[in-house]
Amino acid sequence: MQDELADHNFQVIAVAIDENTEAVRGFMNGITYPVLMDVDHVLTELYAISNVPAVVMIDEHDTIVQPNWNAYATDTFKHYTGIDSGEQLDIIRQWVINDTPMMSVDEAKTAVGDLSAEEEQARLHFRIANHLRGTGDHDGAARNFDRASALAPHDWTIRRAMMPLRGQDPFGDEFFALAAEYNEAGRPFHGVAARSTK
Amino acid sequence: MQNDVALLGDGPMISVQALHDDLGWELKPEGLCRDDVCVLIPDRAALEVGGQIDAMAVAALLDRPAVLDQASGVAAIGAQRSVRKRALDDLQAPDFVLPDLNGTPHALSDHRSKKRLLVAFSSW
Repeated sequence: MQDELADHNFQVIAVAIDENTEAVRGFMNGITYPVLMDVDHVLTELYAISNVPAVVMIDEHDTIVQPNWNAYATDTFKHYTGIDSGEQLDIIRQWVINDTPMMSVDEAKTAVGDLSAEEEQARLHFRIANHLRGTGDHDGAARNFDRASALAPHDWTIRRAMMPLRGQDPFGDEFFALAAEYNEAGRPFHGVAARSTK
Repeated sequence: MQNDVALLGDGPMISVQALHDDLGWELKPEGLCRDDVCVLIPDRAALEVGGQIDAMAVAALLDRPAVLDQASGVAAIGAQRSVRKRALDDLQAPDFVLPDLNGTPHALSDHRSKKRLLVAFSSW
């Protein structure tokens, strides 16, 4: 996509909401655009992101024309997700080439709800937990991961992201328990669902 | 430009230097200042205690979220809420600086005047 649209003044920037550089590197063979590491989840605070993938389209004037779209917008992850991104890529091409975004300005302005105070605090406790993990204070890390979980129980950038950091299997029992809990809560999400256009 | 989030390893009481280096603000007679913006300090005695600055009070004044983990003494301070509100309500993309896989910093604003596709993903 980056190569195809490079002549249209277009830049892909990938941001890993992740601390595992080696795992991220594994995804990124042959990628030419910047792949950035967001260990502290700064993006999830600034853009109110609660799950990945989240795609944001930003125009030449720093205006967000499409906020937090749950799209698998590059083929990089196709082998991983099994989701055919063709339709989503067409939407991106429409915007890049023809300047016709998916949403109206009014729709975009109301598409994403703000973080609650609890969700803000959860992000801060997650940062502290990650820091304490790095200093070898595992009790302190666990305490702050627990606090973050309690504050934002349905936020995947908190709950799922901490699983590998706590030695939990991201596809094990904890994951299925989280998924069930999330479904029961009505799948709350700060963003725009993948298939909202149809 | 630096990301406006901070982690304070030695508790919320910080030096004037750390106020500048970690939080990006300066204490002046007219208030808390950054560039040509100053925020009035309603209760200076609550903010400045014995030559130290209470980062939690600074955060409250600047409308930044803050938490303190009492047991470890580590405090975390987030970005000004207005940055995210401008993104959600006015669709102004917040700038940020993050390292690439080799540690080289990149800013969203490095690619200003291009259409940008920001893809947040993860390995988890």
